[in-house]
Amino acid sequence: MLALTIRFGSVYFKKGRKMKRLSLVVALLVLLSLTATAQDSVTLTILVEQGGFWLQEAAAAQFEEETGHTVEFVNVPYGSVFDRLSAEMATGGGAFDVATIDVVWMSHFAPFAEPLDDLFTDEVVGDLFPSLVADAQIGGAYIGMPTWANTEIIFYRKDLWEDPDEMAAFEAEYGYPLAPPTTWQEFDDMAQFFTRDNDGDGEIDMYGTDVKGGVADFEWMIAVLQAGSPGVVLDAEHNIIIDNEAHVAGLEYYISHHCDMDVAPPNVNEIDWGVAENLFYQSQTAMFRFWGHAYRLTRGDSPIADLVGAAPMVAGPGGVGAIPGPWFNIVPKTSENKELALEFVQYLYDNNSLGIEAPLGLAARKSAYAEYADVEGFENLNPLLETLDSPQTIGRPAVADWQQIADEILGPIGTDALTCEEDPAELLAWGREQLEGMGYE
Amino acid sequence: MKASLAERATLFALVTLIVVVYVFPYAFLVSTSLKPPADALAIPPTILPQRISLENYSNIATFPSVRQSFANSLTIALLSTLITISLSVPAAYAVARFASMAGKIFLIAVLITRLIPPVSVGIPLFAIMRSLGLTDTHIGVALAHSTISVPLAIWLLASFMEGIPHELEEAARVDGCSRFGALFRIIIPVAAGGIAVTSVFVFLASWNEFLFALLLSSTSVKTAPIAIAEFRTQYGIQWGTMTSLSVVFSFPVIIFSLLMQKRIVAGMTMGAVKG
Repeated sequence: MLALTIRFGSVYFKKGRKMKRLSLVVALLVLLSLTATAQDSVTLTILVEQGGFWLQEAAAAQFEEETGHTVEFVNVPYGSVFDRLSAEMATGGGAFDVATIDVVWMSHFAPFAEPLDDLFTDEVVGDLFPSLVADAQIGGAYIGMPTWANTEIIFYRKDLWEDPDEMAAFEAEYGYPLAPPTTWQEFDDMAQFFTRDNDGDGEIDMYGTDVKGGVADFEWMIAVLQAGSPGVVLDAEHNIIIDNEAHVAGLEYYISHHCDMDVAPPNVNEIDWGVAENLFYQSQTAMFRFWGHAYRLTRGDSPIADLVGAAPMVAGPGGVGAIPGPWFNIVPKTSENKELALEFVQYLYDNNSLGIEAPLGLAARKSAYAEYADVEGFENLNPLLETLDSPQTIGRPAVADWQQIADEILGPIGTDALTCEEDPAELLAWGREQLEGMGYE
Repeated sequence: MKASLAERATLFALVTLIVVVYVFPYAFLVSTSLKPPADALAIPPTILPQRISLENYSNIATFPSVRQSFANSLTIALLSTLITISLSVPAAYAVARFASMAGKIFLIAVLITRLIPPVSVGIPLFAIMRSLGLTDTHIGVALAHSTISVPLAIWLLASFMEGIPHELEEAARVDGCSRFGALFRIIIPVAAGGIAVTSVFVFLASWNEFLFALLLSSTSVKTAPIAIAEFRTQYGIQWGTMTSLSVVFSFPVIIFSLLMQKRIVAGMTMGAVKG
């Protein structure tokens, strides 16, 4: 365009001053329009962890194409999202226009985040899982838009659960048909049924399930919700409930697979999420509770690669329950492109389902999960949908010192309980004392 | 006096023990990188791979940003080494040659800066760099790394320079050399071994540094330690990829150290003997 204009000017240069002037004006206008276009195009900088990049990359590319703006992801390790954003908050920096953060950091960054109340219309709230709507608010204001939600569901071996001989043997022993477990009792029965010494050498070759002592600070909380607690550790008003009946029942249930039933590998403290996943995919456990995204990431070289089934999380006396692990997009108050950043957050919400095709295969909207629920290869989405939509799926308390509570109270309680020598109720009473020491009542 | 067989055997056993203690973590790192991804998390863990696989290494090619991060690390480490040595050599020379009270106070003050945990100066440093427009630039990260290295370099170089006889410098001065001339023509060549040792330490400090690089980089100058740490996600650690990258990351330093080995040993010996 610019080249054409210059040529246009040179052609008419000799035909008088008027034409020369006209051509110069035209050239100037073209130059101005080019400059204006360059100025209007804004680069939005988004702070993400690897998952945030994967799940939002497609929507961001589409946003760039539709608007002409540029989206630049700053991809950092998981814990460094917190460090980078904390540095920005402490110095009032405006390096990021949007940050995708873990739910456990929401309270910490709330003073630094732009309110997003205008984005939460009735339609938006209706299409989000209740726990996500609750987690998005700090102090009564919406500060983060959910971008994806994950939670633990049941993974099981289809080749075992659908084997006619196994089915017959199980029904004969327990009096009901073998199917993915839906309750604590069924889970226990199946865990015991599949714990086996196949070669008779006195060593267990396959355990029914696992107990993840390496992430004890998180895992026993799930059983607490299934036991019917209105929340974990603190209630909605941040009063201490760590020693209520449901917490005791949940902790007892959590340790029972290791202490009473012996249906899990004994080295519980070495088992974190990564190890548990490996045990299952190397067919050393028959079923396990794990984050729903793993279904889509099954390794091709696993001996059970095509044999994995997914089911909703089991119900305890209080119903199906789990702890959601959502991530939220927040707009830092210091962003220099706040308006466009808000527009981008809205765009990510509108195009939430694009993330489902990404490696983690997750989204935040019910409609996004529903859109893919019946598609082959996405069999984990209905269980995820059902678990996330359950009333007993409740987020962790939105308190700034949650991580400290998890590290210094919940982790030690879980670890001590797994020694099988401590009384859960006494451990939880100790937990109350510690919380009181932190100023909770 | 010749050591007895028993003494030599004890010494050999001690040396072997020390080598094993130092080498084992690295050997385990290499071993893990050669295991198929599923075996990296096997319980119980095995020290040696049951099956050898190069899958973790071939996976590296699928992360193009990792290659760029290695180049960034190299650029930043070299820049940081250059800045640190340029600042530390004159400072150490002054401290070594003018043994005044001010010099001693300066040395102690320099040492005190080493005692401050880097994490406590991370945010102020970030604010300064941002106000100077140096965030996400090679020079910004290199300068930040130099704040860690300069104190150590001054101490090391000062001890090396104290070992150089004054007479050498005085002879040069008698022959008409200026003080700077003596520094560049006499002191620096003689202290080359010490400077080499210091350069290795400075290079390594920058090569491995994580916190400042994390705070000061965004997309353009992300260093390898940060790129490697990205494989620690919210759901676990990708041990296979991380260990293979770490092995590759360690190669330049190992090669560099082997090449510099003679100079390092010579430099260390020189620092130990004062004239």
